[in-house]
Amino acid sequence: MSGELHARDHASFLAEVHSFEFWFQSVEGYLASHPYGVTPGSELPALSGTERDALAATLSTYCVGEAAALDGASGLIGFAPNRAAKIFLATQAVDEARHLEVMLHRLAELGVDPHADYESRAHASLLAFRDRLMHFVAAKDWEAALFAQNVILESMEFAAFHSHMQTADPRTAEMLAGVLKDERRHMGFGENDLGRMLARSPATRQRLRAIRQELDVLVLSTFEDSLRELGTPASERPEVGRLYLETVARLGFER
Amino acid sequence: MADFLNAYSIQTWLESCPQGYLQDTEYGHAAGLKEPALILENPTLREEAIGTTVQLVVGERAALAASSGLINAAPDHASKRFLATQTLDEARHVEIFTQRLYDLGVKKDELEDTIARHANPHLVRFAEILLEKVDKGDFVAGVVGQNIVLEGLAFSVFEMMQASNVELNPKFAQTLSGTIADERRHVGFGENRIGSLVRQHPEKKPEIERMQKEMAYHMLATFADRFRGQAATLEESRRITQAAGEGSPTRRVWHGTDLASAAPEELEAVLAGTVLAEFKTRLGRIGLDYQTPDRP
Repeated sequence: MSGELHARDHASFLAEVHSFEFWFQSVEGYLASHPYGVTPGSELPALSGTERDALAATLSTYCVGEAAALDGASGLIGFAPNRAAKIFLATQAVDEARHLEVMLHRLAELGVDPHADYESRAHASLLAFRDRLMHFVAAKDWEAALFAQNVILESMEFAAFHSHMQTADPRTAEMLAGVLKDERRHMGFGENDLGRMLARSPATRQRLRAIRQELDVLVLSTFEDSLRELGTPASERPEVGRLYLETVARLGFER
Repeated sequence: MADFLNAYSIQTWLESCPQGYLQDTEYGHAAGLKEPALILENPTLREEAIGTTVQLVVGERAALAASSGLINAAPDHASKRFLATQTLDEARHVEIFTQRLYDLGVKKDELEDTIARHANPHLVRFAEILLEKVDKGDFVAGVVGQNIVLEGLAFSVFEMMQASNVELNPKFAQTLSGTIADERRHVGFGENRIGSLVRQHPEKKPEIERMQKEMAYHMLATFADRFRGQAATLEESRRITQAAGEGSPTRRVWHGTDLASAAPEELEAVLAGTVLAEFKTRLGRIGLDYQTPDRP
């Protein structure tokens, strides 16, 4: 839209990649002509009763995570430090709302009432994570809330969706692929914003490490509960947790 | 409720807005359009355009803060999802009107000072009244303040400005057209969703009506400052434009008033009358009694 992006100075680069225009150009490629994140007319996969129940339970858990992400991203807008960050978070709020919508739509395809109370089926550790995130948001604690939202929660979702895609039916996998593209953008924002803070402040690094230790317990417990419910063998359960830990480390936040 | 909210889904929004009327636009207008040279080159016209655009940025910043703040207070997920689309609409409005300030020659490091210098204090107070409700997590008052009062104000102001600029400044007129389409959707949500909540919480009516009266007063005071307080500047801007031959003969009628020739106080009267009449109609539809504001 406006010249070579990487030839710009840092402030100008951030203003562009955090803009509505950039967001729209990013999502247009994979959302155009894909209502609810899937190819129109693609066949509904035939699932056994057990497979259907397991997928419904998993999607319900995802919905709780996406609803928390929507509340978190929108709450962050109120105390974001600059206009570009506010605008990026507004694009993220719509992304999270879209994820919630496409997952509810997939649940409806499975015969689950999209207005049913999916939260009541969520695992206690995920609800505890959500409460912790919203505590940081309510306190207007930018670095803690952004870390919990755009690094920890996004990495958790990235690991869960990426792993799930390997075994999911084609329709669910296509929906998750679009969601993952959004999550990468969100993680990039968290990494970029917090990375600059960390570079300036060892105290911030120390503080985020402590928060991470607290939240890691909740994330790994959520994975364990969900995978046990899905009947995943105990020997395979650590894989998702390992992917999550690797993702957070790759973003530059060591334990 | 669920059925009507389907019309406000993310999917509907994606298809109608980014993939609909915003398709192939850049900052809300066709690529390549520029501000007219006359505005950029004449200090009076440029300053007047900056002053006007600053009020739009102030209003849209308030709308962004309010719509994002209301998501956490929304009582159902369908409302949260709609408010997420509204949040991004408002963020886009902040972006395109800020971009207009840059297009008018405001330097990036002068943006906040420029906004502080031109922001009308009554418009700032209007926003504060709304955001006080949002900060308290008062969803019903917040949606009335945001989607009926603020959006109703924005809708009419944008319509009037769009009518004024359609020939004089196609770039700005196109930018306004997209925002008008957005505001229409927001006002529709406010009317449709909030009526049932007002019926569920009749005890909230007096407080909400007080808020509407107070916000309406500060809106009228903003108009008074803009039209009567700056009448000489407005007349001078019109004289320069007409002397340059860029707008003298064409009548631009909006709600029965020729925007090209009406006196500033006539412009103020038609805008105030239109917005207040809309408030009365829309508040009546959701079961609230319109409160006549004091006249500044």
